[in-house]
Formats: sequence, structure tokens, C-alpha cells
Amino acid sequence: MKAFQYATAHSTASARELVADKGLYLAGGNDLLGLLKEYLVSADLLVNIKSLPGLDKIEAGKDFWTIGSLVTVASIEDHEKIKQVFPGLHEAAAEIASQQIRNVATVGGNLAQHSRCWYFRHRDTVCLKKDGDLCYARNGENRYHSLFTGNSCISPVVSSLATTFAALDATAVVLRDGQEMRQSMAELYHRAWENPLAHNSLEKGDLILRVEIPTARTRSTYLQVSDKHTFDWALVSCAAAADVVDGKLKSPRVALGSISPVPHQVEAANNLLDGQVLDEALATQAADLILKDAKPLEHNAYKVPMAHALIRRALLKLKGDA
Amino acid sequence: MSSWPTETKYISHSTARIDAPAKLTGSARYSSDIQAEGWLYGMILRSKWPAAKVTAVSLDKARAVPGIKAAVVAREGEFNVRFYGEEIAAVAGTSKQACLDALRAIEVTADVRHEFVVSETEARNDNSPRVWDNAPNAPTPKVHEKGTVDTAFPECAAVIEGFYTTPVQIHNPMETHGNTVSWTDEGLTAWASTQGITSVRDGFAGALQLDHSQVRVLTDFMGGGFGAKFGPGVEGVLAAKLSKEAKAPVRLMLTRFDQALAVGNRPSSFQKIKMGALADGTLHAFEAENYGTAGIGGGADAGGGGGGADIPMPYIYAVPNTRVKQSAVAVNAGAARAFRAPGHPPASYGMESAMDDLAVKLGMDPLELRLKNDANEIRQREYKLGAEKFGWKDKYKAPGSSAGVVKTGIGCAGAAWGGSKGDRRTQGEAHINPDGSVEFRLGVQDLGTGTKTVIAVVAAEMLGLKPEQITVRVGDTNFPYGPGSGGSTTCPSVSPTVNDICTKALAQLQAQTGIADARGANWFAACKKLGVSPLVVQGQWQPGLSTNQACGVQFAEVEVDTETGLVTVKKILGVHDCGLIINQITLESQINGGIISGMGYALYEERVMDDLSGVVLNPNFETYKLPGIADVPDIEIVLINMPERGVIGIGEPATVATAGAIANAVANAIGARVYSLPITPAKILAALGKVPPSVPS
Repeated sequence: MKAFQYATAHSTASARELVADKGLYLAGGNDLLGLLKEYLVSADLLVNIKSLPGLDKIEAGKDFWTIGSLVTVASIEDHEKIKQVFPGLHEAAAEIASQQIRNVATVGGNLAQHSRCWYFRHRDTVCLKKDGDLCYARNGENRYHSLFTGNSCISPVVSSLATTFAALDATAVVLRDGQEMRQSMAELYHRAWENPLAHNSLEKGDLILRVEIPTARTRSTYLQVSDKHTFDWALVSCAAAADVVDGKLKSPRVALGSISPVPHQVEAANNLLDGQVLDEALATQAADLILKDAKPLEHNAYKVPMAHALIRRALLKLKGDA
Repeated sequence: MSSWPTETKYISHSTARIDAPAKLTGSARYSSDIQAEGWLYGMILRSKWPAAKVTAVSLDKARAVPGIKAAVVAREGEFNVRFYGEEIAAVAGTSKQACLDALRAIEVTADVRHEFVVSETEARNDNSPRVWDNAPNAPTPKVHEKGTVDTAFPECAAVIEGFYTTPVQIHNPMETHGNTVSWTDEGLTAWASTQGITSVRDGFAGALQLDHSQVRVLTDFMGGGFGAKFGPGVEGVLAAKLSKEAKAPVRLMLTRFDQALAVGNRPSSFQKIKMGALADGTLHAFEAENYGTAGIGGGADAGGGGGGADIPMPYIYAVPNTRVKQSAVAVNAGAARAFRAPGHPPASYGMESAMDDLAVKLGMDPLELRLKNDANEIRQREYKLGAEKFGWKDKYKAPGSSAGVVKTGIGCAGAAWGGSKGDRRTQGEAHINPDGSVEFRLGVQDLGTGTKTVIAVVAAEMLGLKPEQITVRVGDTNFPYGPGSGGSTTCPSVSPTVNDICTKALAQLQAQTGIADARGANWFAACKKLGVSPLVVQGQWQPGLSTNQACGVQFAEVEVDTETGLVTVKKILGVHDCGLIINQITLESQINGGIISGMGYALYEERVMDDLSGVVLNPNFETYKLPGIADVPDIEIVLINMPERGVIGIGEPATVATAGAIANAVANAIGARVYSLPITPAKILAALGKVPPSVPS
């Protein structure tokens, strides 16, 4: 990697000032160090943000919980109350990478991580995502790629937490130019939908401060399928959340990961499910709707039936049937 | 005539590795741990093109990088590179980062060839770009024929056809390839991660035009070879040249990225099989066409092709009428090397899959079909014993007939390994001291398989001592000759040799001390009588103590989620014969490793090449997937101890049958065949007909 300076910030304001134009924030470093070592990104200065006050807390509330961006994935996984209040979040955290990585990986880093596309990550291919002319995956080895995209790049979002936060309708609070701005998961990733160079909608110097999760959806779940049983990226992931009143789903949300540059959500499906008593037929109908516009490529069409199964299972699990 | 003791205390029992404490505490120094006085890091610049003519390599700027002490080219003058990752130059410096910076400062001028081919199927086309200028990528297939295949098929009651394929599997030992090399005017010392210290010595001597006596190779501890670590390698020779230029030892261990490109792999196979049986299940006709790639392989030969991709067909079965055509296809990718049981795992997967497919067509239990057609008496015994232990009769159901979304299935497959009875040139010596301490020196190496412990066990048994009383030294070319550890021959090479050393030592002790039996309780008294000089006894391999032709069968039980395609292996039972068991616990460890490695081959591992750029897309453990502990099932090992056969190596047969057994269990579970390894969720869903067509982009 290129030589860089290193500084530790003790306030968000100084972090922003230090990072300036040519610095990068460093928290867990799982993604950043890999990118630096492969010369995929470079920085004159790494600003250690692990000492920023107040960002490593999980705070329970009546209407919503707040999870600081420096909270580790392992602390979410191990949090006893989260298992009860947001079981889907617990399940998603538990599936991420390995124990060693979860111990240091942060919520902010998980949300802001870059593409895992093997053309993007390869030191000797210059693809669309690296400002090249071509998406190699589109007509190449696209088994791990998207079924949906708004541009020519088919690299999917792989953040398991983003998928789950989307289903829980959580909001990311981002510090931009000294102002706090609030972004839904759809907004946090929207730019990746339309711009191959983007991994998310964050701009230079933006800092994710925390995530706010409404407690309205009392049931949630997260499922993923990987080639291996642990320590492997999801081929498809699916999170679902809802409240259940008198056996009927209330404010249901379904989101999928690894099939689109953004957490894949279809409002029409959420609307279809809202106020309904869930059964196998309705779950199937919702899955059909969610995957209706999928554009499978040569090697990733298997994701369609896999996603279909996960949607149905996640919904039925919400109901308590599976 | 030498013999083995019949009543034993250690042989055929279990002794924990004598070096386990050193390994567990970290005091064991592996080749990659060596820190020779004043050592430097070494690193290699590799081609970023799959095909190019390199016209100039300038190292000036690299040499100017702070901390860099040497820089060398891989080849002088103009040269062609034929695969992504081929070596171009190397540097040595005081830090890893200095080397990385220097690699980026090397200026390479090249005519990049945009015509190249990395897909073996495409490489076979006549109009495909040639890997080697003067030879076709795919030479005319070799044909082996017996009987009358064409008239035999119509005589069959059932005929199946299938196209079974296996991917290129990359060598990924826990310790990467590499050496620390110190080359001075006095000679060359290499601390090598090798499975053949002698072949590495000879390799260095040959490449650098040194006398054998000027080269010493040391391997105290090393982390796995699996067939890919017999020579110094390009990386070793480059480290030597760097050392000479820098006048310092150079440690050049490959990175995982390097490892995926240029130091060996198992060739792919594309097996088109047609097979028929008579109504009673007797195999009657077999026709197969197979091609695979060994990368650039041996394609420089006039015949072209990649070389070394043939597999034994129809594997362990005798079929009266057969026609087998095979060819190795050259592609622009790193060359193959021997890989644990070369040829056998793909052969077993293809043939054993075809056997099960035929059993389904015949309406026969696949185990019955094997018992009917496998003439080997040992495997017959293993199948019957295994079926009993595994509960085959109770568990076997018609394909796809288990209830529910998550279906269970079982399968089995057989393995053979010819091997050899050991290297008859193997020598060793014992240094017996007047204080009773004893040290064995053999010029072999311990790959992690437990060779040192085997030596201690045999010596302890023969001398009436405890294994911990035996000091074992291996991994030094100054010791008496030992063979490379390949072909599962180390155990049958060293065990008879140690037997001979001990027999001679006891005779000598008797002659020198007058004590008739110096073993056990008399040992120290006898040694004391030696006076002041130690007794040095030499011995060598003796016939009649070892043999070959190991056989094994494995059974697998799997669960397959038919909606997500996820395969979970629940159980593997391995039934293996290995003649006279020397040390049961390390033997079982070998079989565990073979099975886990076979699981990787069955379900996860695959080198993925990109057609357009020619690069290896998964040169890391993120996307080159290996089994993790959560993937590993309950493994049960049943050993058939046959002391009358003598010692046999087990390293290779242990990994052969696993993929075939798992593939058959999967097919039995879902009622459909996945025709290619690795068996991924994507392929399961495709085999079940659940995958929609792709949308043209």
C-alpha cells in the first residue's frame, strides 16, 4: 500500500477536518485495509475514528433504538435484548464473516463497505467500477452478481446489516458538512443504483453517526444462503419485518441483499402483504412480485428461485410457521 | 529375512505426534519462520497479461527504492509469457513494503498479445489462439481400445450417457511455496518448504550449476506439499540469485495470490461417458472421451497439448469392451503439478457417478452394482463392512424419494492406489550414545503427516524403548538419502529402513557388549558398556516389510435443501486398508485430511478464469472456497489392519473416493444428477429444473 499519515480524531468535527480531501476514516479497517493493500483506494491520511465519543453505544428506546456507527457486529450479535426486540438483526449479525472479523467490524463500516465484485477487487482488471470502459461481469463470470440494476454495473450490495435495516425501515444518520442528515437504506445506496463508480450515496467526508431502528415491527428475521455454511458471502440474503396484530401483518417490509446494487425492496409487495393473514399462497404472491423484473444473466439465474424460497421462508417465519 | 514383531506395544497402536508440543506451543520453526542472520524479504513480479512478448525489463528504478538490496530478472533477453502470473522479475529488500514498492517500479516493455485462451473447451477449437506457436492446443487424442465396443452396446440391457466435469483445483497448502536461500562463495543453503529435500538440492544444483556437495537443504517443519513442492521452483532459483546479489539470505515465500497462479494445480476433466451393463448388472461396454487442461503444461513438446491431464478410465472396474480417448488441452494458465492422488479423484467422480446412474437405470441398488463388478477382494470386504457400519440397507431409498423440502441421500465410491512398496534406496542411521540416548537421522522430510512419529514408533518398538526416548532428525540433505514424499511412499520407505537400522544396532550392541538382548530393560546397561564412543549404525530399506495397492471405500450421507440448493454433508464413513498400521492416530489424521480435502473438491473448490482478461478471478480464500470447520461432517474411519501385507502409505487413497461418494449421495437425495464439480447450490437448483433462462443483455 501507499504510505500514509495516521491521526486519531476525538470529535466528529475534528475527524471531518482531518479527513479533508485526501483522507479516509478508519474504524474496524476490514474493508479499508484490503482496499489499500490492493491499491484500489489510496489516502494521504487515515483518520482513526474509533475514539469518537458516544458512537459505540446501543441505546434502547420506546419508539426506536439507536445503534452507534462504531458498535461492533459482535456486540449486536451478543446483545441479549436485540435477540428479543430485533431478532432479524441478531441473525444478520451472526452470519457476517468470522468471529474475528465480527469482533472488530463496525456498523458504519459494514454499511459503507465497497463492492465485493471479483473484477472490481482484482488488481489487474480495470472495470466500469474502477472508471474503465466495461463491466467484465455482464458477459463474464457473473454467478455472484445482480438480478437488478439501474446502470451497466451489476455489482450487488452485500451488507447484511443494510438488508436488515431496510426491512426494519431504519434510518442512517449521516454527518455531512457539519449537518446531520437522515437517510433511509434506499437513500443510503441509491447512487449505486445509477452510478457504477458509487458503492453507496455517501460523499467524501460523510460520516455515518448512528442508525435508528423503529420498534414498530415486533417481528423480524434474516436468512441467507451461501456456498458454505459459515464465513462466506451470501449468494442471496433476505430480511423481513412486520408487526403482527390479530394474526395480520402490519407494516410489513421485505428486503433482499446480493441481488441488486441497493437493498432490493418492492413497495407493491409490502402493500400487498399489509393487513393480510399470511399463508403460503400470499407469501408466494409476494415473492413473485418482488422478483418480477429480475434480469438474470448467464450464471446468476439460480438466484431467482433461491430468492423466491428465502422470501417465502422469511415471511412464514415472521408468522411463526417456519 | 526381515520381519515385523507380532506382539506390539507401539506399532498398530496410537502415539501422539512426538512434535506435537513444539507445534502447539509455536516453538516449531517452519520453513516460513526461518530468520537467517541478516535476512531480506523477497518478492516476485508476475505478468499481468495472459500472453505477451516481453522485450525489455528495467530494474533500475526498483533498485533505487530505499531498502532494496537486489533485483533480478526471471529470464534474460526477450521472452514470451504464456499465462497470467508468469514470473518476470524479483526483488529483495529489508521490508515487505520496500519490495512491494520496488515491484511497482520495475519497468516492463512488452508486446501484449490479445489472442489467448483460458477455456479448455474453447482451446480445442481449430481457430482458437495457440498457446504454443508450433503445436495445436489439443493434440490428436490417444485411444485405448479393447474388445468390440460398437457391437457390445446393443447387447446391453441398460446404457447411460453422461458428461461429467471437474474443475481445476488449486494447490493451497497451509504453508505457501517458498524458501529462505543463502548463497555465498562457500555454497548454498536453502531452508525449503518442500516434500523432497533431495530433489530440491538437485534442482538448485542443476539450475545454478553447483555441485551437490555445495548445496544443503533443510526442512525441519513444513506446512503441506500435496505433490506441488518437489523442486526449488522458479521462486527458489530467484531467491538464490537475489541472495547472491544482495550477499544476504533471502526469504521468498509466495503470497496466496502467487500461490493461485503459478505453482501447480489439479487438471480439469471433461468426461463424456457412455456405459452399458447386461441385465444382471455386469458391466459390458464402456466408451469415454475425456479432455482436461494442465494449463501451459508440457505443450512445448512437438505433440502440443497441455500434458498430464489423463485420468485412469474406467477406473477400478474391468469392462470387457472399452474405448477411451483422452487428450490434454493447453490453455494460457499456470501449469498443473502432481496433486494428491493425481488423476484419481476426477476419475473416481466420473466413473462412480456413471455407476450410480447406471444402477438407477437398471433398477439396482448401487452398492450391489459395485459388488457385482469390483473384482478387488479387499474392496469387497470394505464395502460389506462399511455397509454394515453405515446402515446402508436401512438408509438406502430410491433417488429423490425422501419426503420434504430438505431431502436426504446416501452414496458410496471406491478408491485404488497403486503406489510403490517404498523407495529401496532409503537409508538412515542411528547414533547410540553411552548414556542410552539415541538419535535417528534420515534424509526424508515430514510434511506434517507424522513421519517423525512413525520413525520414533518403529524404533521404540524394535529397541524396547518409549517413543519419547527416541530423538528423530529428518529434513537435512547431510543425512543419509531419503526419498521425496510422493505417491504415499514415505511410510513404506522409512519403516523398513528403521527396522533394519534397529536390527543391525541390536546385533552390533550384542557383539560389542556381550549382552544378548540389549532391548528394553537391558538398554542402558548395554549402552553404558560402549565406553566413550557412540555407536553409529547404518541401515537401509529391506524388502518384505512393506507393500502397495491400498484400497478404500467411502460412504456419504447428505442433506440437500431443494429450494436453496444448499448441500450439508452429515456423515462420511471411510473404510481403508493400509496393511500393517504403524501409528493409528496419525493414520486417522491422514484420512480425516483426505476426506476434508475431498469435500472441498466435491462442493467448493474451483479455479475461475476470466475469458476476456485471462486472469484468475479467485486468487484468494474469499472466492476460492475451502471447507471450514462448520462444513465438516461426522467422519468415521474404519481401518482394516492387515499386518501380513506390510506397511502401506495412505495419503493418497484417503482423498480419492470422497467426491464420488458425495456426488452420488446428492443425486440419491434429489433424484437428479449434478454433472459437474463443485456441486454448488446454483447447480443443484439447475439440476432440479428450477432455474429460469437468462435474459440476453
